[in-house]
Amino acid sequence: MWGVRVLTSNRAYRGVGTGNGTDTRVAAEKAVNEALRPLEGRQPDLVLVYASVRYDLQTVLKTVNAAAGPAVIAGATSSGQLHNGKLTEPGDGIAVLALAGGGYRFGLGHATGVQADATRAGRSLARAALDAVGPERSPHEAVLIFSDGLAGDQQELLNGIHKVTGFQIPVVGGAAADDRNLAETFVFAGDKVLRDAAVAIWIGSDRPLRVIGGHGWQPTSLPLMLSGVDGQIVRELGGRPALEVYKENFRPRVTDHKLYPRAGGYHSEHAFGLIQPDGSLLIRGAFIDSDGDLRTFSPLPPFSAVQVVSCDAEDLLEVGERVVAGVVEAEEPAVVLVFDCVARLDILGERGHEEARRLQRAAGNAPTFGYYTYGEFARTTGVAGYHNATIAAMAL
Amino acid sequence: MVAYGDPQTPRFESEAETLRAALSRAEGAAAAAYRDTARLIRLLTVIGTPSSPGRLIDRTLTVLSEVFAADVVCIAEAIDDRLFVTASCGLPEDDPAFTDGWPVGPTARRVITSGSAAARHAVPPADRPPPLRDVEGTSAAWIPLSGMGTEFAGDVLALYRSGGDLFTPADLQVLLSMAYRMYSAVESRERGAAIERLAQAGPGLARHLDVGSLLDEAVVLLRELTGTDAAWVLTVRDDLAEVAAVADAAGDTGKRWPRPATDLPGWSRLAAGEAYVGPNPTSDDPILLVPVMRDGTVIAVLAARGRRVRSFGKSSVEIAQVLASYLSVAMANGEHYRRLKAREQELHRRASRDPLTGLANRMTAAQRIDEALANSPTGVAGLLFFDLDKFKAVNDRLGHEAGDELIQQVAQRLRKVVRPGDMLARFGGDEFVLLINGASDLTDLTDMGRRIQVALADEFPLRGERVEVTASIGAVLGRRGTASASAMLRDADAAMYAAKARGTGRLEVFDDEASHRSIDRLDLRSDLSEALDQGQLSVVYQPMVELKSNTIRSFEALARWRHPERGNVPPDVFIPLAEETGAIVPIGAWVLDQACRQLAMWQREFPEEHLTMSVNISAVQLERGHGELLDVIRAAGVDPTDVWLEVTEHMDTAEDISSQVSSLRDAGVHFALDDFGMSYSSLAYLQRFPVEGLKIDRSFVAAMPEAGNGGRGIVRAIMAVADSLSMKAFAEGIETQAQLDALLDLGCGYGQGHLLSPPLSVERSTAALRAQRDRA
Repeated sequence: MWGVRVLTSNRAYRGVGTGNGTDTRVAAEKAVNEALRPLEGRQPDLVLVYASVRYDLQTVLKTVNAAAGPAVIAGATSSGQLHNGKLTEPGDGIAVLALAGGGYRFGLGHATGVQADATRAGRSLARAALDAVGPERSPHEAVLIFSDGLAGDQQELLNGIHKVTGFQIPVVGGAAADDRNLAETFVFAGDKVLRDAAVAIWIGSDRPLRVIGGHGWQPTSLPLMLSGVDGQIVRELGGRPALEVYKENFRPRVTDHKLYPRAGGYHSEHAFGLIQPDGSLLIRGAFIDSDGDLRTFSPLPPFSAVQVVSCDAEDLLEVGERVVAGVVEAEEPAVVLVFDCVARLDILGERGHEEARRLQRAAGNAPTFGYYTYGEFARTTGVAGYHNATIAAMAL
Repeated sequence: MVAYGDPQTPRFESEAETLRAALSRAEGAAAAAYRDTARLIRLLTVIGTPSSPGRLIDRTLTVLSEVFAADVVCIAEAIDDRLFVTASCGLPEDDPAFTDGWPVGPTARRVITSGSAAARHAVPPADRPPPLRDVEGTSAAWIPLSGMGTEFAGDVLALYRSGGDLFTPADLQVLLSMAYRMYSAVESRERGAAIERLAQAGPGLARHLDVGSLLDEAVVLLRELTGTDAAWVLTVRDDLAEVAAVADAAGDTGKRWPRPATDLPGWSRLAAGEAYVGPNPTSDDPILLVPVMRDGTVIAVLAARGRRVRSFGKSSVEIAQVLASYLSVAMANGEHYRRLKAREQELHRRASRDPLTGLANRMTAAQRIDEALANSPTGVAGLLFFDLDKFKAVNDRLGHEAGDELIQQVAQRLRKVVRPGDMLARFGGDEFVLLINGASDLTDLTDMGRRIQVALADEFPLRGERVEVTASIGAVLGRRGTASASAMLRDADAAMYAAKARGTGRLEVFDDEASHRSIDRLDLRSDLSEALDQGQLSVVYQPMVELKSNTIRSFEALARWRHPERGNVPPDVFIPLAEETGAIVPIGAWVLDQACRQLAMWQREFPEEHLTMSVNISAVQLERGHGELLDVIRAAGVDPTDVWLEVTEHMDTAEDISSQVSSLRDAGVHFALDDFGMSYSSLAYLQRFPVEGLKIDRSFVAAMPEAGNGGRGIVRAIMAVADSLSMKAFAEGIETQAQLDALLDLGCGYGQGHLLSPPLSVERSTAALRAQRDRA
């Protein structure tokens, strides 16, 4: 059972550390030691770990656990990381955040079997995290989650969590990634490396916990009815072959910016926007797979109203700044947690470094700490809260 | 030059602006239209997707939250002035709304009573549920479900949105139509699920042969099928209703039971076989009662109490009625079974008990002994087998009825001796068996034996007399794995006879070590008693040869027993047994008779041979009162002087045999001593018994040719003894030519053995005599 960490001091101490190179132990030790140093010997209450799948993940967690003691430890594999205004490109890097103090309470839970029944997994995950945080409830609460980004229906996972949290507790987090390989992603809970799983940290706080998500995508098509869906494959749009309609609505190329190398026919410049009741769009990434099918990362609800969407780099950068600035309120936080879609990084191309710098600038003195994901969670209104091609943030 | 420019440009820009705005409006309208259509289709899709009723509601509420951006969507039922949430998307699962409810706000109240939907923007605090109490600018919509049919009366679907837009009339239309469809679907699925559940579980009720467990399962099923909090099954007997099974979340069955069935609400309808739905007189909760009928009579009543009327719609009633009919059949089955079982038990009791004493009978005793052997922790079981000494005399003197009465009195006293776990059985007649619980050694057996003797020590009053009774007791210890009930009973029986043989009121313990030997012997003993009647015995004849001339001069008659299962039983096994049991008397007489008759036949056919016959006899045969052997000899038509009776050295020369021996001797019958030399008393014996022949034991004959063992010297000495006492010497067991040569060398006159001839059947003996005559 995961322990609950209750803080002794209201002042928060935090450190961010990174490690890279081929040697897992060396990289992990460097990252965790760097993260712990600013704590000046205090026991961390929360340790977040993001790592490239290139590393021996068991060793990463063993090293972190050995150094971090009884802290709540969680994290995910990534497709690149960002921290303190710097970008670690996909394919490398271990990033560690250590946090002590600040009046927070953390409860860790995890669940497997997301593929088989995401709702059930979500509910049991949230119950476990709530149990771990203990019976005493804080004035403000949020749930931070990491999920296996390639397992199951992520919105269903959120639906299950929602049954435990209710509408008043926001949910933030990211789906794990694997350096754009789209092969296997993992989440971390304590010293466990898990697949087909999700991890949740129930956070209790004396201060409000604000979760914001934003995407900056614009529609390039008229509204369309998603008339044929087969799991993750979109077959028909408005009664016509989906791929044909999708391509018809691509935005003419006006800029000639360089994209990152694509993986598996993944096409990041266009996506679907699920039309929300208030007219806003929930972005769902789409790509054309090796069979020539139009595929999404998570199943789209049949008969949804959608629009084909696209974006340009400047919009993405501005949205990122707005999201981060939004979570940094009057009181300066200890850290700004960022969950940034790898699709955004693909579109930003060389300007990815600029994004990292601009997000840090928006965060002021608080360090930014985040990773590039295969899906983002930012649930604030209603039950919907799973996004693609979005940036989500919460400050601690 | 552009001075104040081209008037076209601004106009163009303004037109473009206008067009762009129009396009944007058109796009917005299209998006809204698609969104509205899409959400209706999405809701209908969810409703149309096969799932359980609970999951259907859950999915629908989730989609409602998504498509209306509602923070809280819930279905709640109004009970008095509170709304109890039964399903929600947006409330945490431990929210008090599920258990304690919310106050019914004025708008919700109006919606429920009027049956029309309502929407409000900036919902006033009285209409806001506790989780949204502090959120100004909340929008909400309430959709009544009471108009959908009686099943859901009092239910309301509510959506709350913090901030955001008003729920439009179009939204309300979508929600109304969706709610109707959802509830239709839920109802039909609940009904379908209930019928399916009933179809699965109903026939299974009949497997309960015990009415108690049947009703226990039925009541749980009833609660499940009607979706209520509390259900009971009442049984009705002699116009009294009694609670027989309860499935109640609150554990409260209300009134005192039993009570007159006529006091049940709606009894007149129940008695007519109809269901009753209505108020429960003891509380405000509605109640459903369904009668379980048999032959036009109410035998039980299914009762369910709901906190909402919706629990007892038409389908609930129908389903409860189907359950009632299943239950009627199952209860009838259960009662048939119970009667059958009771009869079986009575039959079993009769079959397992001795009717005279009520004690276990022979069959039960055997079963219990086997069980004790199998289950005893020590692996040992102790058994006493006893009968009443001289019971037959009581029976003969006072009559069978008195005998029965005595047996009953004895059983009564023995009951006081046995301890819990012991088993006392009457085996028949005056025989009893006591299985001693926890016996571990012989002391336990002898202790118990003593207790029995003490219990019987006082005289029994019987028909104005006082009768003394003692028991002869046989005791045995059996061990798991080696003993069986039949073996233990046989051994104990044998021990009892041994006890009886020693006198009355004795206890004999069966010797465990000897058991293997004696089991065979005991079996043979009993078989031997019948061997003669069964024609299993025969006589063979071994020629006695004059060695010098190799001529048959005599035969030794030898008894043979061919056992139907064991084959030939050797004489050295069965003869001692026959002597022990006394069977030797008839067997010996029969053999003598056979031998003498055969001798007579041969003497007629071969008069020139002057044949004689040797027959072995046992001391018992010579005892007074066992018939006259001389009569047998004479009856066969032979001259007693042609008959030799062979006796052994072991034979007791007590007084009571000497008279018959004398009369035989006087008639001319010869006696020969068998196996001479095997006993230290041989020579003394010769002085006391009128012996005229000695048979040299085969062991001496066998030893003769061997160097340095004195064999030849002994034979020579025996022959000298015979010679000096004017007796004949016969050599037994001549098997080799060397032995024969040695005997001839010593001048031994007669002998027998396999070298000369094995024992022969009558036919072959006759053939041998003929060959001898022909040779001569």
